[in-house]
Amino acid sequence: MKEALLEINNLCVDYVSANGVARAVNNVSLTIAPGETLGIAGESGCGKSTLAFAITRLHKAPALISEGEIIYNGRDVLKMSDKELRDFRWNDVSIVFQSAMNSLNPVITIGEQLTDVIVAHKRISFKQAAVKAKELLGIVGIHGDRLKSFPHQLSGGMRQRVVIAIALALEPKLIIMDEPTTALDVVVEREILNELYDLKEKFGFSILFISHDLSLMGEIADRIGVMYAGNLIEIGDAKTVFSKPSHPYTKGLIASFPTIHGPKERLYGIPGDPVNLLRLPTGCNFQDRCADCMDICKKEDPLLAELNVDYHAACHKL
Amino acid sequence: MSFLLRRLSFYFTAFLIAISFNFMLPRMMPGDPIDALFAAAQGKMDPAQMDAVREMYGFVDGNVFEQYLSYMQSVFTLDLGPSVLMFPIDVTTVVGMSLPWTMFLALGSLIVALILGVTIGTYSSYRREGFFGQFVPPFLAFISNFPYIVTALLLFYFFGLQLELLPLAYTYDPAIDPGFTLEFIGSVAKHAVLPMGSMILVGIATWVFNMRNAMINVLGEDYVTMAEAKGLSSFRVMYRYAGRNAILPVATAIAMAIGFSFAGSIMTEVVFNYQGLGNILLKGIMARDYPLIQAILLILVSAVLTANFVADLLYVWLDPRISK
Ligand SMILES: Nc1ncnc2c1ncn2[C@@H]1O[C@H](COP(=O)(O)OP(=O)(O)OP(=O)(O)O)[C@@H](O)[C@H]1O
Ligand code: SF4
Ligand SMILES: [Mg+2]
Repeated sequence: MKEALLEINNLCVDYVSANGVARAVNNVSLTIAPGETLGIAGESGCGKSTLAFAITRLHKAPALISEGEIIYNGRDVLKMSDKELRDFRWNDVSIVFQSAMNSLNPVITIGEQLTDVIVAHKRISFKQAAVKAKELLGIVGIHGDRLKSFPHQLSGGMRQRVVIAIALALEPKLIIMDEPTTALDVVVEREILNELYDLKEKFGFSILFISHDLSLMGEIADRIGVMYAGNLIEIGDAKTVFSKPSHPYTKGLIASFPTIHGPKERLYGIPGDPVNLLRLPTGCNFQDRCADCMDICKKEDPLLAELNVDYHAACHKL
Repeated sequence: MSFLLRRLSFYFTAFLIAISFNFMLPRMMPGDPIDALFAAAQGKMDPAQMDAVREMYGFVDGNVFEQYLSYMQSVFTLDLGPSVLMFPIDVTTVVGMSLPWTMFLALGSLIVALILGVTIGTYSSYRREGFFGQFVPPFLAFISNFPYIVTALLLFYFFGLQLELLPLAYTYDPAIDPGFTLEFIGSVAKHAVLPMGSMILVGIATWVFNMRNAMINVLGEDYVTMAEAKGLSSFRVMYRYAGRNAILPVATAIAMAIGFSFAGSIMTEVVFNYQGLGNILLKGIMARDYPLIQAILLILVSAVLTANFVADLLYVWLDPRISK
């Protein structure tokens, strides 16, 4: 295995409120290799976005990184000074936000939103940056005249492309994509994902791809990690996670999505509701919803164990 | 453009309603106000002039509609007749002399309060947990909760009477010739400190809180997080990405504040004996100088409507989503 580009060790992120401390990311460790696409799946509220925000330290109060390390290319992100952090952001890791529609400022031209990040990180003038910005728009299939447009003058799909162009602006080595296409219709989603893959071939960046759509992820990710209530409960190569999952939660998650090609099957949801982070049970967080629950599950936390080379899951049954 | 046209026609209608009201007012009063007016003029007017004033008010022979037309004509040609108080000077001239001072006071204090308030509001939202965010806004709120007249009189008493630091009357030192000289400008500034200062003190807290609340809403938006993720400087994130949007709801409040500021300046001028419209208005009312009162009301209405239109222009410029 290649040297990791990003290595997260035992990361914990807490939301501190008057009602108590909610641990939205609990003891998560993972690596991303150069050029690799790692998918993170899990139901709403399991901590995917919180994990993504932590990577460039974007969390704001009441969120707090209480433990762990984030090592990017040998440097600990959590120990960077403000200046180092500003340089690191976007230069090395850029982000396509969950609501890409809202991540463009409505009263600033897309040209300025593209050029300002270039000027902030490179020693070039706004004029030179504008040339580069035109080029970037071209790459995502938007005419250069659109630099003067405001976000509301573009369609949803075009805005999404602009956001991707901004993410590519400094040619980062890692792009975090937090449900980049959830707000788009299926056709546009398909188009954009295909383009994204061409771009990835061309630029060779890694992707941390967050989604709750496992079938989409099965297609595009090299490896998939599944989160439940802040814990990473299964991680391994995409094919195995998708076709032969080990953890009962992953099985349920996959059974609850329709497959595009396979025969028509009955869809199975996962019974019960997601757990409340403020009132976690002793032992496995999934116990109330798990059909395979045993005595030990109610006493001890299952730990992530290696089932195979580069394949881990956290369940007492395995 | 359609937005501005719509606003413009709205202001024009408002103007017509206001001056029509002005037309009806003397007619709704008991007795003939014009006779009362001439009694007040104490024979300073000759019959020809009295006729001119009658005509100006539309008290001409003919039905109400003809009277109205004649009144409108004198309004739109600015032929408002002579002032009783300062006979035989035209009210247009009297108003023309004092209007600039009122504009200076009302708009000047509004602009300064706005700029200071928006800056303080932005900064205190960003430093919500720190000393600045915790103490400065509540302190300003405390000050602005005093009735205006108390603040004004306190300033008047301490800085004017006790410390004798600042002048207590007039818009500039009468011994200095008006002109574009350092001396004159200095004198104007010195005379404006107390009246303007009192209006700023009273007005600033509104802007601080408007801006702070708007900022707190905007800071949670994704585009602000994205601007931070891009590694932009915190100054740029705060003022360009967050402040630029937070100022939109504040800008809508400007239109309303303009009217209040003009109304407030009338009181200020009386307290500090500042030679603006408010001061003249008070004297006019005491002398029952109807032509003057009507002219001042007319001018105040036009000034407020014009200022509102400027605020609309500002809003269109700030928010590209509004149709141009
Ligand atoms: N500002 C906050 N204060 C308190 N708790 C929060 C806050 N933001 C998020 N949380 C909690 O943290 C947990 C993880 O949230 P997160 O946004 O990371 O979920 P997610 O997996 O991205 O979900 P989704 O698929 O809906 O985007 C949730 O249970 C949520 O309730
Ligand atoms: S540890 Fe036990 S309760 Fe948890 S998923 Fe495995 S079997 Fe189910
Ligand atoms: Mg999310």
